[in-house]
Amino acid sequence: MNQSQQPGQNANPGSAAGGGFGQPRQEMEYICADCGAKNEIKSREPIRCRECGHRIMYKKRTKRMVQFEAR
Amino acid sequence: MPDAGPSTTKYRSTFRTLEREKKFRNPPKDGSTVPILNEFVTPHIESFDALFDDSGLPQGDGDGRGLLSLAVRDIGERVVFDGTGQVGTESGQSGWGNRLSFWIEQVSISKPRVPEKIKHANDIRVYPFEARERLTSYRGRMSVKICWKLDHQGEVERSVIKDCGLVPVMVRSVRCNLRGLSSADLVKKHEEPEEFGGYFIINGNERLIRYLILPRRNHVIALIRPSFVNRGPSYTPYAVQIRCVRPDQTSVTNSLHYLSNGSAMLRFSWRKQEYVIPIMLILKALVGASDKEIFEGVMMQDYENTFLTDRVELLLRSFKMYSLYTGDQCLEYLGDKFRVVLALPEDWDNLAVGAWLIQKVVLVHIQEAREKYRMLLFMLRKLYSLVSKSCSPDNPDSPQHQEVLLPGTLYGMIIKERLEEALNQVRNQIMLDVRNQEPSVDFFDARYFNKVLSKVNFDLGSKMSNFLATGNLVSPTGLDLQQASGFTIVAEKLNWMRYISHFRSIHRGAFFAELKTTAVRKLLPEAWGFLCPVHTPDGAPCGLLNHLSRTCRIITAPLRVSHLPALLVAHGMTQNFSPSIDGTKNLCVQLDGRVIGWARPQIAKQLAMNLRIWKTEGRHDVPLDLEIGYVPPSRGGQYPGLYLFSSRSRMMRPVKYLANSRNDQIGSFEQVYMDIACTPEEIERGVSTHVEHAPTNFLSILANLTPFSDFNQSPRNIYQCQMGKQTMGTPSTALQHRTDNKLYRLQTGQTPVVRPELHNTYGMDSFPNGTNAVVAVISYTGYDMEDAMILNKSAHERGFAYGTVYKSQIVDLKDAKGASRSMSAPTLHFGLGHDIRTEPGDKQHWCCKFLDLDGYPFVGTQLSPGDPIAAYIDDTTARTRFVKYKGDEVAYVDEVRILGSDAADSECQKIQVTLRITRSPVIGDKFSSRHGQKGVCSQKWPAIDMPFTESGMQPDVIINPHAFPSRMTIGMLVESMAGKAGAMHGLAQDATPFKFSEKDTAIDYFGEQLLAAGYNYYGNEPMYSGITGQEFAADIYIGVVYYQRLRHMVLDKFQVRTTGPVDPVTRQPVKGRKRAGGIRFGEMERDALIAHGTSFLLQDRLMNCSDYSTAWVCRTCGSLISLGYDDIRLGEVVIGPSGIPKPTGPNGEYCRVCRAAAEQEDERQRKAMAHGNNVSNAVKTDVRVAISSVNVLGSTSKGGDLDVVAVPYVFRYLCAELAAMGIAVSLEVH
Repeated sequence: MNQSQQPGQNANPGSAAGGGFGQPRQEMEYICADCGAKNEIKSREPIRCRECGHRIMYKKRTKRMVQFEAR
Repeated sequence: MPDAGPSTTKYRSTFRTLEREKKFRNPPKDGSTVPILNEFVTPHIESFDALFDDSGLPQGDGDGRGLLSLAVRDIGERVVFDGTGQVGTESGQSGWGNRLSFWIEQVSISKPRVPEKIKHANDIRVYPFEARERLTSYRGRMSVKICWKLDHQGEVERSVIKDCGLVPVMVRSVRCNLRGLSSADLVKKHEEPEEFGGYFIINGNERLIRYLILPRRNHVIALIRPSFVNRGPSYTPYAVQIRCVRPDQTSVTNSLHYLSNGSAMLRFSWRKQEYVIPIMLILKALVGASDKEIFEGVMMQDYENTFLTDRVELLLRSFKMYSLYTGDQCLEYLGDKFRVVLALPEDWDNLAVGAWLIQKVVLVHIQEAREKYRMLLFMLRKLYSLVSKSCSPDNPDSPQHQEVLLPGTLYGMIIKERLEEALNQVRNQIMLDVRNQEPSVDFFDARYFNKVLSKVNFDLGSKMSNFLATGNLVSPTGLDLQQASGFTIVAEKLNWMRYISHFRSIHRGAFFAELKTTAVRKLLPEAWGFLCPVHTPDGAPCGLLNHLSRTCRIITAPLRVSHLPALLVAHGMTQNFSPSIDGTKNLCVQLDGRVIGWARPQIAKQLAMNLRIWKTEGRHDVPLDLEIGYVPPSRGGQYPGLYLFSSRSRMMRPVKYLANSRNDQIGSFEQVYMDIACTPEEIERGVSTHVEHAPTNFLSILANLTPFSDFNQSPRNIYQCQMGKQTMGTPSTALQHRTDNKLYRLQTGQTPVVRPELHNTYGMDSFPNGTNAVVAVISYTGYDMEDAMILNKSAHERGFAYGTVYKSQIVDLKDAKGASRSMSAPTLHFGLGHDIRTEPGDKQHWCCKFLDLDGYPFVGTQLSPGDPIAAYIDDTTARTRFVKYKGDEVAYVDEVRILGSDAADSECQKIQVTLRITRSPVIGDKFSSRHGQKGVCSQKWPAIDMPFTESGMQPDVIINPHAFPSRMTIGMLVESMAGKAGAMHGLAQDATPFKFSEKDTAIDYFGEQLLAAGYNYYGNEPMYSGITGQEFAADIYIGVVYYQRLRHMVLDKFQVRTTGPVDPVTRQPVKGRKRAGGIRFGEMERDALIAHGTSFLLQDRLMNCSDYSTAWVCRTCGSLISLGYDDIRLGEVVIGPSGIPKPTGPNGEYCRVCRAAAEQEDERQRKAMAHGNNVSNAVKTDVRVAISSVNVLGSTSKGGDLDVVAVPYVFRYLCAELAAMGIAVSLEVH
């Protein structure tokens, strides 16, 4: 998942002097806390469910491997 | 008791596992899973509902209007004048001008709604879960309708709706969107199926207004308090007091003080200021009574009583000096004195002001002057009776004379006062404008009035939120309460038991907490059945913070009683206005503090009995909740009479009336004069009038859940009530929707095998609080001494008492450094900036292990202390910054909530992260059984070394036999037996107290069951040592006991330090576990070491491990603070003015004082040599401290005269401080 989800992020990390402009607006999928609908919300977009207008989103559980030492 | 026979043909589980499972999967769609839970918060909810006109509560005698409407009516109108009138004309004697009156017509609070800005919401209602999860408050909009009218021809009444902000609303009240939802619907709204409400949500926290004990309303109590003497000259300790309550539930306390000259003074307070008025003035002002009328009214035919005649004569005589003869004169006198204080309309004359005062402060529960007059006469008679010792003082600490301040009532009182304040501000603003002759003042223009309204702060919402958030009462009048803070508490969901206890807790008042005397804390027999004798904390709040008994109700609705006086008259009561009632032979009959008639004791007793039969059988429309307090005449006892109470806020409880076997509700006033048998066997013929429905009804819910509590020594049951509330259990079944700061959860909760019947009634199985453990009572390894317990390691590995702590961390960019203060677009945004390399590989930024591209943590990541929990980009610097995980334990990200703004129109600025911390039981964690037997886990003993029984059973827990003899918790022994038998037979054992008797003992009952299961009758078994395999010499008592894991865990408590942070001033270790500080080694510990003669240890503790330091001390002057350095790096020598090299130490150090003194001496000697006289001068010091040679580290006498000594750093600091005060300290170096 970590490899796959890199939309245009590779573009010159060194020349970020332009401030907050031209930020890559990666979309992330969140889950509405009320109706459970999946919502794709870009960064700096208002938090609001497209289905029900709710104002809380849950972050989805990571799809990365989660592995701990079990001792 | 359940049948013990395993031979029953069809097996039916007494645990009701499937039933519960089904209910949990499919909560009922037409009601609640556990209806009784809703019942026990009704006083909270109904008292809040009573504020509104559409409360749905019974109307009683009123017109069904809510408390807010009544309050608004009581506030009345405010009047201002524009000062345009001509002096002496129609518009006022002093030129008042146009008269503008304004008042509040209506108050309304809406249900919580989504702000109107949000267009596309499916449901405009806001539900509590959203407030909880978004960390906001659950509020509805409040608005008032303000009307105003100009007293001018052709002017009509005008009105405007004024917004008052968002007011917190009680969950599940009539203003809550969860009102009336079934369990299934509640689950859909992300609540628990058992959600019962009764609290407010403020900033995501659940807060509730605690019940508070107040003096019983509308009832005269007699007091003897020595402190009354200090009120002024000729005051005596005698007084009678009445707390009068208006229909809107606000109250005024009137006291009648007896003076040593025989007269009495009426005391009341107005805006926190106390006033006293001679009672004669009031009596005359009320009805214009003549002296004869008053004399006869107080005497009531009792002319033989010379004590009384003397006093009344003095009373009448002492009033002659006022030269006031008629009622109007008295009113005018009062009006004149109180005109300034009351701030009433200017055009009112003194008569009107006086009448208003009497109306508003004297016996406010009665409207009519004549009735007030009668009641005052009754108070006078009771006062004189108290003084003549023919009646006893009443105990204000007894529940007989107490009632409850209900949350909704307090809420309404505050709203009323805030509205009144706002209205006064409007008046003041207009008066100010008029006085300043503002050109805008125009009473005929609606715009002017609206402008004034906009200037005045009508934001009640924030004030109510503040009240609930802090519990502080900001009030100019004090609301007739004795405290100004501590009204609200957080309803902590630590576990279910603690949570439900909050709603039943009742506090005596913060004022009594600091009282030196402990009389108020006493458990009184009057409290039986109303306050639980077991469930009170030990320690500071003991006896002040009580809990209501299980069946205790609080009346929240008014009753219909207006027909009662007529009914009583029809059955023999003498009416009020009968001219010649003999006060010695008749008892006063009162209804809610109104004298409704008189009756002979026999008739009064008969009336009381009739009323009781009528009310239990529902005849003559006598309400069941009517309280019939018949106080029989006695020699020097409580003042007799028949007192009827129908008001709200009273504590009542159900019992069975023996006369007709009906259910009766009895109050705390009448109970004192009743004979209530606890069990049907205890009924005494001709004596008992009532019998308890169940002998356990006097216990609170928690106390009822202690199994076999009747076998235990009573303090142990008190401890269990405490520990039940500290248990790691199941706080909620909607855990994923909770944002509490800290939640404790037991992963492996079980239903107890041994539990009282009420466990099922209260649905406690939805919230398991512990684990059934096989417990052996044996002194095994020595690790179980002093209340320690040994845990079977295998039991632990199977998940015994495994727990989790949920903590929440909130990241709010608004509070972060660099956030823009303005309302414009934020400059901080969650996310990773361009300065972070996110592509995988060696160069990937380290934070990508924890954070996703959106700047939030991965759900499921493990966080160690200091790891990033969120990242945000600062627009101004274009840099990414991190917010760190602030805990000191490894945690896992359980949930990340991205919180939108109120209007859902801005980007995310706030997230809430729920962190999960695993807490497997470790050595040092605290456990307890349900009998106040707590212990600390001392070892996790390997299973192979645990003792075992003949059947191969191993205990999960080993406790020491010494835990029992002194504590006498026989209940635990019985539970152990019952648990063992229950586990073998598959029975849920009923552990309700008071089920067994001397003839039918618990031991025999459970012994038989054990025998049937093939065990020893008494629950002990032969056991074998796990280490040697040999049988023990004695049989071991082993059984199944329900164990609770308490939330006190070593991981939260351990404190260890070798070196660490020190105080910058003293360089001693800081204190506090959080700051890695040390534990104070105090004076007494020091004494112990001195006594032991362990001086090295003493030095180690107080010096070497604390603020050890070395310092240069001058041998000559002994100064610690005069160190100076010469620069002698390159072998330079400092040459003095005389050309001689100055003496210095090897590093150039020297004593500045001595060098300066030497130079001075040098100078003087030179001068003396020149002049020929010799003066000696030595350095003077104030304090001399000897320092032993042990502490001299190295003498460097080669060049300078300085020594290095080891001293505590604080000592050097002390020397510097003393020097600053001009005190020199000298050290003698030996």
